[in-house]
Amino acid sequence: MSVLTARDVVTGYSGVEILHRVSAEARSGEVTCIFGPNGCGKSTLLKAVAGAIRTWQGEVALDGEPLTGLASHEVLRRGVALMPQGGGIFPHLTVRENLEIGAHTVRSRADREARIGEVLQENPRLADRIRIHAGSLSGGEQMMLAIARALLVRPSFVLFDEPSAGLSPKLAGEAMHRAASLAERGVGVVMVEQNIREAMRVADRIYILAAGENRFEGTPAAIESDKQLMELYLGASA
Amino acid sequence: MSLLIQTILNGLLVGGLFVTLSIGFSLSFGVLDVVDFAVGEWVMLGAFAGVASTTWLRIDPIAFLPVVFVFFAVVGWLVAPLIYRVRNSRNARPALMALAFTFGLATLARGGMLTAVGFDPRTVKIGVVQGTVTLGAVEIPTLRLAGFAFAAVATGLFMLFLYRTRTGLAVRAVAQNKEIAGLMGVDVKRTSNFVYSLYAGLTSMAGVLIGGIYSITAQDGPTYTLMAFFVVVLAGLGSVGGVLVAGLVLGVLESLVTVYVSADFTLAIVFGILFLVLVISPRGILRRGTA
Repeated sequence: MSVLTARDVVTGYSGVEILHRVSAEARSGEVTCIFGPNGCGKSTLLKAVAGAIRTWQGEVALDGEPLTGLASHEVLRRGVALMPQGGGIFPHLTVRENLEIGAHTVRSRADREARIGEVLQENPRLADRIRIHAGSLSGGEQMMLAIARALLVRPSFVLFDEPSAGLSPKLAGEAMHRAASLAERGVGVVMVEQNIREAMRVADRIYILAAGENRFEGTPAAIESDKQLMELYLGASA
Repeated sequence: MSLLIQTILNGLLVGGLFVTLSIGFSLSFGVLDVVDFAVGEWVMLGAFAGVASTTWLRIDPIAFLPVVFVFFAVVGWLVAPLIYRVRNSRNARPALMALAFTFGLATLARGGMLTAVGFDPRTVKIGVVQGTVTLGAVEIPTLRLAGFAFAAVATGLFMLFLYRTRTGLAVRAVAQNKEIAGLMGVDVKRTSNFVYSLYAGLTSMAGVLIGGIYSITAQDGPTYTLMAFFVVVLAGLGSVGGVLVAGLVLGVLESLVTVYVSADFTLAIVFGILFLVLVISPRGILRRGTA
């Protein structure tokens, strides 16, 4: 089993500190959800882990091997992928080109083609739209493309930054369950979500951040039994 | 009538070279997020490399083109990490600092060459292509034809690279969104260096041919920088397809103004037209730019 850890991570943007010593841990085969109010640093934590922004202090590690200070392409090569908010597809590239760039680190051409072929078989809707610009796909299709693309490199951990954002309730649930189902295949899933009710159903472990600090860590059952926590941070009057 | 056809044809032929010197400039802007003020200096330095090949080495500049490409690609490869570093520094206003940095590079190149060769205009003497080709009523200088052929081949190869290779796709991804390209496993820094290097080599080669068609002095760099600006802005920032059209438009405009008005008014008229285009269509002629 693999473990992805962030320990006492301090980081931010252009000199402004957003995360003040945040720690979290994710395991392969589990869904780890990160909740918290807007601006609490959830996305920042994912970006710091994936190397998209620099970690100022603290440590990020995969199975004890440090990832701190690596650029995002190096983190990806070690098996940790991030699907950014909104999916992060390239709107001016075609669906096919988006998949090809997703498989950029796969050296052999034949292997790249085979993996893209698999994705298209699993997502016939994408296969039908292979030559059009990804920007003209519907929101749901874009999210499918983004999720499929993140898996092309067969990462051991995938960090999803709000897979359900901007989607209709039905599609939102679908996107989230698709992401969560990866855990059954042994992938470690880390998910930042606003759609807390749905996410609670799939989560194995939950972290709550507030104002750039850890506020809670535990199982969904533990949160549900804590009414104050639910009301304060999750906006749910359950 | 035949003068008009002749003028337009001459303009189209030179326009090919404007495409070549602008296409790398456009792409390096996309990839590095810096407008490279030194673009015209690469043209000027390339032209003087062409002069050097005939006067010192007695090699025809056309045969010397690969050497020019390799040499300036290496120079670009050495300069690019500096630009990248300034652009991505955590100091205040990295974008402005990077702009100032390329402006400094341009000034250094111009000052250095003025000290070395003075103000005298030179021409690259291209021996293998001389005379004219007659097509009905119009006469086409063979040199311009060769320049256009070079531009077509260089630009064609460049486009093939961009649209048909794995690295080319990575370059386009970086130009669209650096953060996400990095998350896809693309080494953004290495890609930026590579593009700048390729662009420096390509633009310098175009400089050799431009130096054959027009005479060139060590202080001509900024003129070509303005030309490249014109092409890239008219094309719509970041639009490679637009560059193909805008470069040819510039060639024809320049040619028409020179023949029917006066060469002194070229920049004034050309930029007046750019102004009008931007007022009417701010995203460039093909409306595909990112601005």
